[in-house]
Amino acid sequence: MSKSYLRYFLNKLAWLLVTAVFAFILNFTLPRLMPGDPVAAITARIAQGMSNTTGMKEVYERYAEQFGTNKPIHEQFLIYMKNILQGNFGTSFSQYPRPVADIIRASIVWTIALQFPAIIVGWIIGNALGAMAAYLKKGFDKVLMPISIFVSNFPAFGMAIILMVIFAVNLKWFPTSGGYGYNLIPNFSWEFIWSVIVHYQLPFWSIVLIIIGGQAIGMRSMSIYELNADYVKYARFLGIKDRVIVRYVFRNAMLPQITGLALSIGTMVSGALVAEIVFSYPGLGYTMLNGVMGQDYPLISAVTLIITIMTLIANFLIEILYGIIDPRIKAAQAEEQGG
Amino acid sequence: MKRLTWFLSALLMLSMLLASCAPAATPTAAPAEPTAAPTQAPQEEPTKAPEVQPTKELSAAEIAAALPRKETLYFNGQQWGPVVCWNPYSSSCNNAMAISQGDNARVTMFETPYLYNMLDGKQYPLLADGPWSWNDAMTEITFKIKPAARWSDGTPVTAEDVAYTWYAHVKYNTSTGASNKDYIEAIEAVDPQTVVIKAKLDADGKAVNPLIVAAYVSSNYVLQKAWTQKLEERTGGDPAKFLTDPAEDVVYSGPYHKFYTDETKVVLVRDDNYWGKDPSMWGKLPAPKYLAHVIFKDNAAGTTALKAGEVDVSQQFNSNVQDLWLKDGLPISTYLPEPPYNIGASLPTAFYNLRSYGLDQVAVRKAIAIAVDYDTIVANAMTNQSATFKQVPRSLMNPTPGEQALYDREAVKSLQWEGNDIEGAKKLLDEAGIVDTDGDGWREYNGKKLQYVATCPNGWSDWQAAIEVVAAAGKKIGIDITTNYPEWSVYQTVVTNWPLPETGYDIFMMWSAGAGPTMPWGRIRNLLSSEFAETTNNWTGNWGGYKNPEVDELIKKIPTMTDQEEIKKAYTRLVEIYLTDVPSFTLMYRPQSFHTVYEGVWTNFPHQGDGTNPPVPPLNLTDGWSIAGLYNLKLVNP
Amino acid sequence: MIHTLRQVFRSGKFVTGFVIFVSLLLIVLIYPLLVPDDPLAIIGLGTFFPPGIYVNVYDSVNVSPYTLNLPDATTKRIADKLGPKERQDMKEFLLAAGIPEEEIDIEDTAKLLDLWEKNYDPNKNIEGMTLAKMRYYQRLNNSLKGLLATEGLIVALPNAQTGQLEQVKVIEQSDYANINEVPNVRVLPLGTDNFGRDVLTELVKAAGVSLQIGFVAGLIATLIGLVLGLLAGYLGGMVDDIIMFFTNLLIVIPSFVLLILISFSIGQDKRGAITIATVIGFTSWVWTARAVRAQVLSLRNRDHVNLSRLSGHSTVYIILNDILPYIMSYVVMALILQISSGILAEAGLSILGLGPRTTEVPTLGLMMNWAMIYQAHVLGKWWAYLPVLVTIALITFSMNLMNTGLDQVFNPALRE
Repeated sequence: MSKSYLRYFLNKLAWLLVTAVFAFILNFTLPRLMPGDPVAAITARIAQGMSNTTGMKEVYERYAEQFGTNKPIHEQFLIYMKNILQGNFGTSFSQYPRPVADIIRASIVWTIALQFPAIIVGWIIGNALGAMAAYLKKGFDKVLMPISIFVSNFPAFGMAIILMVIFAVNLKWFPTSGGYGYNLIPNFSWEFIWSVIVHYQLPFWSIVLIIIGGQAIGMRSMSIYELNADYVKYARFLGIKDRVIVRYVFRNAMLPQITGLALSIGTMVSGALVAEIVFSYPGLGYTMLNGVMGQDYPLISAVTLIITIMTLIANFLIEILYGIIDPRIKAAQAEEQGG
Repeated sequence: MKRLTWFLSALLMLSMLLASCAPAATPTAAPAEPTAAPTQAPQEEPTKAPEVQPTKELSAAEIAAALPRKETLYFNGQQWGPVVCWNPYSSSCNNAMAISQGDNARVTMFETPYLYNMLDGKQYPLLADGPWSWNDAMTEITFKIKPAARWSDGTPVTAEDVAYTWYAHVKYNTSTGASNKDYIEAIEAVDPQTVVIKAKLDADGKAVNPLIVAAYVSSNYVLQKAWTQKLEERTGGDPAKFLTDPAEDVVYSGPYHKFYTDETKVVLVRDDNYWGKDPSMWGKLPAPKYLAHVIFKDNAAGTTALKAGEVDVSQQFNSNVQDLWLKDGLPISTYLPEPPYNIGASLPTAFYNLRSYGLDQVAVRKAIAIAVDYDTIVANAMTNQSATFKQVPRSLMNPTPGEQALYDREAVKSLQWEGNDIEGAKKLLDEAGIVDTDGDGWREYNGKKLQYVATCPNGWSDWQAAIEVVAAAGKKIGIDITTNYPEWSVYQTVVTNWPLPETGYDIFMMWSAGAGPTMPWGRIRNLLSSEFAETTNNWTGNWGGYKNPEVDELIKKIPTMTDQEEIKKAYTRLVEIYLTDVPSFTLMYRPQSFHTVYEGVWTNFPHQGDGTNPPVPPLNLTDGWSIAGLYNLKLVNP
Repeated sequence: MIHTLRQVFRSGKFVTGFVIFVSLLLIVLIYPLLVPDDPLAIIGLGTFFPPGIYVNVYDSVNVSPYTLNLPDATTKRIADKLGPKERQDMKEFLLAAGIPEEEIDIEDTAKLLDLWEKNYDPNKNIEGMTLAKMRYYQRLNNSLKGLLATEGLIVALPNAQTGQLEQVKVIEQSDYANINEVPNVRVLPLGTDNFGRDVLTELVKAAGVSLQIGFVAGLIATLIGLVLGLLAGYLGGMVDDIIMFFTNLLIVIPSFVLLILISFSIGQDKRGAITIATVIGFTSWVWTARAVRAQVLSLRNRDHVNLSRLSGHSTVYIILNDILPYIMSYVVMALILQISSGILAEAGLSILGLGPRTTEVPTLGLMMNWAMIYQAHVLGKWWAYLPVLVTIALITFSMNLMNTGLDQVFNPALRE
């Protein structure tokens, strides 16, 4: 790669690291700025049926010591950092004494299995529809556009609830809740796999439908824009085949859409939250919400850290890729060096 | 399209991946190594040949990848998050299906010597053999252990186990130890079958609190000495480690044990060698082979599953529960056929901060209390799942007949308000000279406007709805009450630590104790005793800071009283003081457990007039004497 | 300007969106004038009364009745309590009680009831019958009492002296009251909610509050985004780096997570509707900032900007006069999007129980939240949540439709 590209790369990498460090600090501090005393909450749980005040105090102090919440915040940060570097996310407050890593391991699979395909399927279908709308125009466009706008602006929980009321409660086509059959134990059998697939459908489509709408609108605009660009007119003038032109057009229109895809990885966890709650689907979003409600600092920090890292990496990769494929950015690099 | 199919297959792969990950957490089999067979065989041997046990269990676990509907009893409303551990010494295992010690202890996996029955107030022997007895001086309780009682490893349950359990509770300062050590001096094994509980004595040589000592036998598990010692060895005597050990290898005596847990469910499986099938106890095994609890995210999800027939015993607030059978025609019923549908046992209560300006005046406290529209609270907040104060006049007692009979209703009749008495409240305030002097529509006390904030934790829906009604009552009688709902994590730290802030917590809601062997004494103590007034780290009661020497005197005396008439007089006096002084007031009655059952698969659940004797209480078929219900269950279509 | 507006209103999409939006706005403004009730007043003792016209029973007993002899009145009355399903169920019970099948004629109401009365025993324990079924028969039995009676109902009052009941009047089966003569009739087009509040009145108020929240949040977000985007894009260099750094930071810590954390931290006591709006605004400016920056980047080396710079105009002057007008259309569209996403964000927060405090004003999210808590969707009480969802969808839909319309006007390339 050229020298300018190397500079571009290093520049991006430097910013990535700086952002990562600050995000890391924020991830630690933000949850701890919340009011309230999580250790008191643990004590409260342990206190059920306890009628002895001195015993209570002992329990409280024991846990305060164990979690280090009685130490000054910078000391807590150092301990936290040391632990993270050793891959230790600490012990959860709200599900004490479960390790945070254990909680996350149990729920992250579900989130990724639900969100990742949902984002990608939604993105593909949405972009295909958007491109078709731009290319076919007229009737297809007239129907598709308003529907896309309507669906993409439907509140996520509303979509989930309506799907559930119609398909699970009334029609009984799909189960109402859970990640797999209420009567099953995870095992490797067709019955179980089928159950997972069936339970997957409603949460999956409640997310996909909304993504499709948004992507279709974006792709349609981008495609129309490109279709009317000068280079297309020029190419037509030169007598290049329509099929070839269309391929170029959509490749160019796709680029900004890919950025959107990368960034939606970051909103993955919060995006699934509502579907998780409505369908009692296991996953990271609900785990985090519970963490917030239970003031579970280690859990919140760990979940946000994971989101941060995923977004940072996705973002970085996209920018690097961009630098390679998109000539416009190359031009911008050159310009930045000049000016 | 090609890509789409590619992604669909990727999706399939992911789900397979998921499935293949799961067997890592395969169902646990029964304990692997049964220790040597019991030395002497008392009468008959309840356990089968132990060496067959592990293999048999394993094969059962393999078959049961799907829980057969007709062998499984499904629950909801108890487990709201994944299970953390199986350590019965810890109180933070979040393991509601297996571990819950207290007045109505859950005896699915671990067992108490006695089972408390909230319907008749008696304690029935489980691990114990026959009733317990006080010695003449009422300083020691003696009971025997059933010869048939066995641990899951086949060894007999002995008095030594009971004694060592207590020893460990004290040594590691568990919540059981901490809350009982002021009342229990020691628990000793006289011989392998005989247990003696020695009460702590006061200066006069009398038991400090015989009620709490007697309650111990039905509210705390007996755990195996050998296993406890193993745990101690493993954790090296460190109390923190001792309490946080996940204890997957725990030895138990109950009919069920761990089968499977993950983020979405908890399943217990029956131990077919359970000692209780001995004729000296149940004489048979409980009907369901599996007890399963799917973890729902909220009440709505739980109700949806109940409607779909995926839940048999529902212990959660199903709003408008009657719609399930009236509108949807489902085979679902509650303990009682008509409102309040369940037996109320606890009294959610609004406390006054007695330090707040004007709330030191009885007239103000009483005026607000009698102006509140309790019928709206019952009908809207609880969707009629609480008795009204017309049906059960207010006192300090829960609505069960046993407690209601403990005080003289006629003697306090004139004090028992039913609410929505706006005129009465206004009159009361006018007579006390608390009137609106500056014409702004709000009353003043000594020239200062009466202005309060009523509060409860955010998201506690029925409480919030109730607090709204309290605030509305204030507005009607010229007292400015606004509402405020802090998050629970904030709320709890404020309410439990005196002094309460100057504003924001003038009227606040907290719970009161439900049904149990020390009730109603324990509840009254929590509500009124000055030992909790103005203390920090107070999770017990009397958060408003009420002090009354006469009340303290009565609370101290009642546990040592034996004459029923005398006790009744004391309780009546306490009710009279409570309704006169109004340091706090009950807003509704709430059941100990909600009990809604689905009869699509199982039937013969406990219900009012079901003919069981002693009556089986509606406590999930798992708590205290309620577990007897598990032995009565029948299949609808066998 | 007028030309642009004329163009805007020629766009079909914009006009459709505009009409929907303005109608919603008008309803929000006019309805409270027509129905001045307190939207949070608890009027129902009980939860989720279905939509309909509520006629005061006490008053309709007291109005002077009209006699209408309608031929099918009795049939309807009986059918209401004793439909085909009930008849079949009765037959089942009678069969189980040992009555031979040929003796049971479920079509003959009088015979069936007679047979039922003779054979039904609520305490009879039929083998294999569930408790739910037993209770069903008990309820059925109660509802059948007096079903075939032809005489009227007697209204009685206790005598003031003796306390004995004295007949006041008789209500005949053929008595009808004209609804216009009943003094107390209340129409609840959308029934009541879990608090016993009139859903329609509450919904109109909530829509207004949610729109306010959206406007405040959208304005704040757009303003911050615009200023930062302009500065970063035009000034470039260090300023750009720093601003982009903050934007990136907010992207890697997703705004919804921030929103949850902040809302939780403020505490419910301080969460007024406007506070929530402000929080939403302060966490959602990132996209606007990035987009504005991109636009400015492409503008800043245009000839007219360079010319202006050469003429010695100040940075502020250039930004205001040579850059802002060119991206104004874009900013307006961003604002519309921010408003609609602000409304969605409030709803999302409230569903999680982190929305504004409940007691002062209703919002669409709070209504949704309470309906969910009291399980309206599971119990089929559609009136408590569906209108709320439709309202949210209509607001955001109309705004986005307007936005698309604008997009087509301002980006000639997008025009068909």
